[in-house]
Amino acid sequence: MDPLTLGALVAICTIVVLFSGVSVALGLLIVSTGFLMIFDGMRSLELLPEILFGKLDNFALLSIPMFIIMGSSIASTRAGADLYEALERWLTRVPGGLVISNLGACALFAAMSGSSPATCAAIGKMGIPEMRKRGYPDGVAAGSIAAGGTLGILIPPSVTMIVYGIATETSIGRLFLAGVIPGLLLVTLFMAWSLYATWRSGDQELLASGNYTWKEKFEILPRVIPFLLIIIGVLYAMYGGIATPSETAAVGALLCLIIAMVIYKLWNPKDLWVVLRDSTRESVMILFIIAAAGVFSYMLSSLYITQSIANWIGTLDVNPWVLMGAVNVFLLIAGFFLPPVAVILMAAPILLPIITTAGFDPIWFAVILTINMEIGLISPPVGLNLYVINGIAPDISLKTILTGSLPFVGCMVLAIVLLCLFPGLATWLPDAVMGAAR
Amino acid sequence: MAGQSSAVASHTGNNPFLRFVAALSNVAGWCSAGMIVAAVAITCQMIFVRFVLNDSTIWQTEAVIYLAISATLVGLPYVQRLRGHVNVDLIPLSLRPRARYIMALFTLSLSIVMVAIMLWFGYDFWHLAWERNWKSDTVWGVRLWIPYASLPIGFALFLLQLIADLVAVVLKIDKPFGLEDV
Repeated sequence: MDPLTLGALVAICTIVVLFSGVSVALGLLIVSTGFLMIFDGMRSLELLPEILFGKLDNFALLSIPMFIIMGSSIASTRAGADLYEALERWLTRVPGGLVISNLGACALFAAMSGSSPATCAAIGKMGIPEMRKRGYPDGVAAGSIAAGGTLGILIPPSVTMIVYGIATETSIGRLFLAGVIPGLLLVTLFMAWSLYATWRSGDQELLASGNYTWKEKFEILPRVIPFLLIIIGVLYAMYGGIATPSETAAVGALLCLIIAMVIYKLWNPKDLWVVLRDSTRESVMILFIIAAAGVFSYMLSSLYITQSIANWIGTLDVNPWVLMGAVNVFLLIAGFFLPPVAVILMAAPILLPIITTAGFDPIWFAVILTINMEIGLISPPVGLNLYVINGIAPDISLKTILTGSLPFVGCMVLAIVLLCLFPGLATWLPDAVMGAAR
Repeated sequence: MAGQSSAVASHTGNNPFLRFVAALSNVAGWCSAGMIVAAVAITCQMIFVRFVLNDSTIWQTEAVIYLAISATLVGLPYVQRLRGHVNVDLIPLSLRPRARYIMALFTLSLSIVMVAIMLWFGYDFWHLAWERNWKSDTVWGVRLWIPYASLPIGFALFLLQLIADLVAVVLKIDKPFGLEDV
């Protein structure tokens, strides 16, 4: 069979299998095994365990459980609420200080936890009731947190970026740096929209915040500064050439656990087990998808599908930007149904040759891809963050959360357009810190 | 929606087989978490040896990688028990109870066949490493049957947990896809 037709068949079968409700990792293994068995013979199955094991045999992968432990130990404490309170006390004189504090806290917590739902939950638990109490519109309160939470997968250290780095053999250090300016750009756009929406709602007094004494401002700092120092330390160690991402993540994980135990008195073995259990569950889930996606990409290249698609795209006389538009639509649709990690692992082996053939930078593309995945996190039918917000504030209807989040989707689309017009927004920082690529 | 269907562990009722398998999966979960903690500790020790003692490290990198792989494979049954393997349950959610039940039987059976294939060839692969005494081509030269053992062990326990999940759905002890638990 022609490899392109075979590729289309693989795509259809993958969609059917995944939508049947089977787990993503097993679904990928089922499709890979089926196609290898039919088109490569039974003997090719003997290689499956070796390929699966081999895909996990990578020191860089270790950073995933480490960063997850770091995130869950922080998420299991009151750190999110403290961070939010600290920002609110310090930004009291800034107009619209409350919504700005919430979004700032989301960005900082995202940097510490690397997880979008965890950021939503941690900041939203305090932030949403406070904003509503002060009379902010429900849509702004819910939408800003849902959108702010999505920053978790863009601002470093981000598990999604690590997975992309491993799937495409791109430098994780560069990817982390590439997420910084677009992350700040998104936070700024989110803040601008929130302020405008609040101003438009007609109550100008909302834009003024409460008053805090200097004592109140300083007494909260000891609870948030240690975590911020760890993040700065981890990033410094990584970019100062002191250690690899996995090594720094291990030290970060240990320090975050110790701080959670010392400052937030996380002594109880039961509480510690919850942190470990959640970390194990998430790490095993992600690592198994990585291994299964490894088998899937082996099947694609063994049946010559990946190469044929890249060649085919190369012969098409389409404008690269039209191609990029099509890729974005594909990613958006995939992101509506699948979690970011699964989309990246499945799409990267097929999309990367297309992207590089069309002359786009894989580091820049990682940022575009991640923002697409962020949109998926606050759009139906999946919209994980929408459900997290619904869980925190059950009296705000899902419709209000959704309509409140829509303008933030607009901000993300605007960020994608800006990144297409000015790719330097993503590539300048990695080039400046680590030298030009290649 | 897609995502972990639920944070709730699968139900066992009073069925001794289901309880036994659940206990085994829990032990596998503890082992997996223990291996991840060990990997964190060894990585920190490695950094200490390299940067503070200015010494070279021999076994740490390899040990940590094998620990992470084993934690993943041995952790599979535990994550299955917690329904932590992410899936797209959009279609199952929209089905009527009878169709959802049939769909759950179908997907669980398919998963069982897949994991059985992995167990079969995984055991073969491990056995080859054991019989021929394969060693890693590093200074440490670890006997590879030790890390490879996580393939048959992990997939055997995973298979058992999947069979238990199927039995639980058939005996109506657990709901198809655990959806009513949400």
